[in-house]
Amino acid sequence: MSSLDDIKQMFFLECDELLEALNDGLADIEASMPTGALDPEVINAVFRTVHSIKGGAASFGLEAIVRFSHCFETVLDQMRAGKLPPDAENIRILQRCADHLADLVAAGRADQAPDTATSEPLVAQLNGLIGDEGRASAEPVQVPEPEPEPESDDDDLSFPPLAIPLGPEDLAAPAQMLYRIDVTASAELFATGHEPVHLFRELAGLGDLTVRADTAGLPDLETLVPETPYLRWRLELATDSGEEDIREVFEFVDTLATVNIEQVEPETSATIGPASASEAASAPRNPSAESENTPLPLTAAKQSGAAPPKTAAAEASAPAAKGPKSTVRVDLDLVDSLINIVGELVINQSVLTQSFSEANVANRADIGSSLDEYKSLALQIQESVMSLRAQSVKQLFQRMARIVRETSEVAGKSVQFDTEGEDTEIDKTVIERLIEPLTHILRNAIDHGLETAESRLAAGKSETGTVCLSASHRSGRVLIEVSDDGAGIDRKRVFEIAASKGLIAQDAQLSEAEIDRLLFLPGFSTKAAVSDLSGRGVGMDVVQSAIRKLGGRVAITSAPGRGTTFSISLPLTLAVLDGMVVDVAGQTMVVPITAVLETIRPTRDDVHMMGSTAQVIKVRDTLVPIVDLGLAFGYRSCGLTVTELVLLLIETEQGERWALAVDRIIDQRQVVIKSLEGNYGHVPGVAAATILGDGKIALIIDPEETAQMAERDLPAPAPLLTAIGE
Amino acid sequence: MSLKNSLSVMVVDDMSTSRSLILMALEQIGITNIDFCKDGQTALQKIAAKPVHIVISDYNMPGLNGLQLLKALRENKQTSRIGFILVSGKLDKEILSTGKKLGLNNFITKPFDTPQMKNCLQAVVGPL
Repeated sequence: MSSLDDIKQMFFLECDELLEALNDGLADIEASMPTGALDPEVINAVFRTVHSIKGGAASFGLEAIVRFSHCFETVLDQMRAGKLPPDAENIRILQRCADHLADLVAAGRADQAPDTATSEPLVAQLNGLIGDEGRASAEPVQVPEPEPEPESDDDDLSFPPLAIPLGPEDLAAPAQMLYRIDVTASAELFATGHEPVHLFRELAGLGDLTVRADTAGLPDLETLVPETPYLRWRLELATDSGEEDIREVFEFVDTLATVNIEQVEPETSATIGPASASEAASAPRNPSAESENTPLPLTAAKQSGAAPPKTAAAEASAPAAKGPKSTVRVDLDLVDSLINIVGELVINQSVLTQSFSEANVANRADIGSSLDEYKSLALQIQESVMSLRAQSVKQLFQRMARIVRETSEVAGKSVQFDTEGEDTEIDKTVIERLIEPLTHILRNAIDHGLETAESRLAAGKSETGTVCLSASHRSGRVLIEVSDDGAGIDRKRVFEIAASKGLIAQDAQLSEAEIDRLLFLPGFSTKAAVSDLSGRGVGMDVVQSAIRKLGGRVAITSAPGRGTTFSISLPLTLAVLDGMVVDVAGQTMVVPITAVLETIRPTRDDVHMMGSTAQVIKVRDTLVPIVDLGLAFGYRSCGLTVTELVLLLIETEQGERWALAVDRIIDQRQVVIKSLEGNYGHVPGVAAATILGDGKIALIIDPEETAQMAERDLPAPAPLLTAIGE
Repeated sequence: MSLKNSLSVMVVDDMSTSRSLILMALEQIGITNIDFCKDGQTALQKIAAKPVHIVISDYNMPGLNGLQLLKALRENKQTSRIGFILVSGKLDKEILSTGKKLGLNNFITKPFDTPQMKNCLQAVVGPL
């Protein structure tokens, strides 16, 4: 039994769904505004969400929510009745109310005092929308009166007591028939892979089934022939399906088993079991009432969960297939601990594989196949567990829609907010940790990115700026983009500011991409006055570090006069990664496989020297700088001949290519990510660590950062490269 | 065997919070034979397959609302004698008088506590 506290927690979870539906509904109403073709069911649904939140809140004494949602619901009721037009202004107020209701729910959840200061002006606005007639009903929230005692109530609202008929005849299902089915299987039936219990289970789907096995024919153990069937079954099925449906169940075995189907009068069922009439009445139509006759009550077993172990799996899947999709709410901590354990399982699996191969037994057929099966099962479990954490970005996007609304209001800019790919699923933790960086980027896009209405008009653009937030899956990663159709990055200004702040040399030669990246430098701010919105003392560097902590990268592209796009590329999960295990000067390291475009074994002709130390390789007419990982990480002090090494071609988010040189490629496998940041902070070039099959620890490198690290050591690569390229 | 143990109840509410609150109250009263579903249509199907004594239904639901469910039950000869208790957020005379015309047996307003639910049930089925 769940306690009131459990139900309260369930209420808050349900509120998340209801608030989401509320936002969806309001968006639908908004979208239908231009055409005026509004589906009344949409407003109905919106009304219901607020009503449901109110109802639930009342049960837990959450007065502030009850009070506010009451006014909210009254306005929606008016709109539903056609007394209030769903125009832009009204929708805007309703959206603000939805936002505030979400805040109130969040406060209730955190046991904090509700923000009634914000409620008041909104309630006043809502009351302004309600006509005088509606106001009467919206006025003081009636804490529902206790329900009147029907007996003492003389008016026409009292109800006559109901005489409850408890006899079996009253509850007998209308058109149910009782069938007796005798089944005798031939040896052939078992020999051809049929299993009576599956057939019986299918029958149980037609109605209430009891099964009894007739074991009389079973001989002593000495005389028993294992392949001879001795059992017979008598089944009784109460169902509204016809005999045809029953025959259909046995369709595939009709030549392999003798099946006699006989319709019996319902009365005879009472004589089958010794249950008295009163007992039958007390548990109508419950097969377990006849348990003295030791039948196997399939349906009863299903209800109590006491199904025989062999059938458990099928029992679990059968009901799911029938009804609508059902869900179970699970504590996130449980899922997380499951993920951790599965991570250990994956490590354990690779340890086992390695020990078997060292013990030289892996090629024994039995061990090999069990090992393969273990591997595939571990992988399946891992995938399923990971998908438990996956969530669509819809709620995140809705939350961002609110940020856009609020920001555009404060900034006094008219903004159209578009979203794409709301159904894209990402790890829940990633979604949670995206809130802050995305908020920052969006505020930035509206505050700095979009021009004022006047400049937009002067530039021949529409007065309303557009900000688009999109999510999509791209080659094993998730790509989230925020783009605006503003003025684009003023690179000259960015350069000047960076130079004036001493972040770069006054005469530095920077490419456009490099100038754009200056925005991510700590302490960079382009707005002269710290604005109320995006400039809260944190810069884009915070965005970068937040994204980096998620194993992601953020990149900017910008076109003058056309706008700016921030692209965030994220791993699908935080727990495992497909890695290429490589040897670097005797150290085992892991390179994320998603980063590797191709591997190259260079010939002397491909490699060119740049200056005294730097080398580049010609890959299909472009020159790609080579970074020796051994040198970059200090595992060796002088470079080896590149032709003895293997090159991994990688590409950064900005599209720059690098060739990482390693001694050799050892393997390609899934590795469990173990973060180092808790103990070591951020180590440049290193994303995390992992434990290999032999129990040793290997560093997982961050290829892009490693390349950038090495880039700083190169003698002015950009101009030099261009010169050589030409 | 007492009425408590033999009474079979169907709870219909689209919101799992309020459904759970009703179920909790019924369990505390000691009623064990309880089934539930999320909407009126499913309730009708379930009841047709396995009749119950009492339906406790929310009023405000997508699809069929509480009164439409009551109407559908009363219109079918097989289910017309089933007791019906309506759960609603507020005491709305209009809903109740329509309900009464349709053969509503009792109602209860949210929020309620277990004794209130017990009183409400007893008024319909007798002492529990």
